[in-house]
Amino acid sequence: MEVRVVVSGRNYDTAEAIPRHLTLPEGCSVDEALQAVAEFCRQGPGLPESCLVAVSGTHLGTLRRHKPHVLSDGDELVLIAPVAGG
Amino acid sequence: MNSSELSPEELTRYARQIGPGVFSAEGQLRLKNSTALVTRVGGMGGPAALALVMAGVGRVIIAHGGQMISPDLNRQVLGSEAVLGRPRAAHFADYLRSMNRFVTVEAIDHEPDEDEALELAGRVDIVLSCPPGFEERLRLNRAAVRGGVPLIDAAQWGMTGTLIGVDPGRTACLRCVYPEDPPFEEFFPVVGGISAAIGALAGLEATKILSQAGRPMFGRLWMIDSYGACTSMVELARDPDCPCCGPGTRRAT
Repeated sequence: MEVRVVVSGRNYDTAEAIPRHLTLPEGCSVDEALQAVAEFCRQGPGLPESCLVAVSGTHLGTLRRHKPHVLSDGDELVLIAPVAGG
Repeated sequence: MNSSELSPEELTRYARQIGPGVFSAEGQLRLKNSTALVTRVGGMGGPAALALVMAGVGRVIIAHGGQMISPDLNRQVLGSEAVLGRPRAAHFADYLRSMNRFVTVEAIDHEPDEDEALELAGRVDIVLSCPPGFEERLRLNRAAVRGGVPLIDAAQWGMTGTLIGVDPGRTACLRCVYPEDPPFEEFFPVVGGISAAIGALAGLEATKILSQAGRPMFGRLWMIDSYGACTSMVELARDPDCPCCGPGTRRAT
């Protein structure tokens, strides 16, 4: 199955190594998808643990602490590193 | 004291924003009888405060300490070259007053501490949180939750920004979204266009809520990523154990 990945917020420029679409096994969990995303960030600082995690518009929590979720084909995995600039 | 009607002059002034798809006449009167707090009034808070003043929110309280410096000039639209080296709050307030004589603008020349934020939340109808760090945002969130007034949080980094609408006790608060303090960055990158866009949307959202027009974005995070040319809307979940707004919480953190 294919999942669209949106990475935004603080340091979005360093996340450019992450592809916009991930091909994952059927029934893949959000944790497995996050592990796949982390593999692409190995060279850089990675995403902060406070990063917001959402799937297809539904908020699951942060990278550090989020609800379990099984992904479906066509889902959108959204990762937003918190921003606070004024 | 609340006004019971709009003057003919006010009706003329607001003619383009009273009608179908915008504000009702009653909504415009609600704006006139409303008070909003905006802190701070730089790249985002400035356009937000301007939107409130031009829309006719009766009293707008702005809070911003310090003096205008050269790096502010890429985004702080209430300032100008003429204000460099001078205190922001008084000058920004004068500019806002010049935009609408039917609006009262109150200037606070510092960032409110915990007690003052709570006191302010008790005398406003909405809080617009536009500071440059999470400590201050979470302080305003605590004040809004304890005061029971809506909060619009506007934030940005580089060419991206987020808006969060909080209806205390009913939708997720900032602490639900950020259970741990995110990293702080003193000198964040910013382009004026995104600050202005996010700030103007924060001001628009506040006028919608105050006038009861349209659907408020309570319980949502709206991410606008100009760098990546994409946008996302996330339905935020309340944290049942939130130390700020969770059930039975008496001391917001």
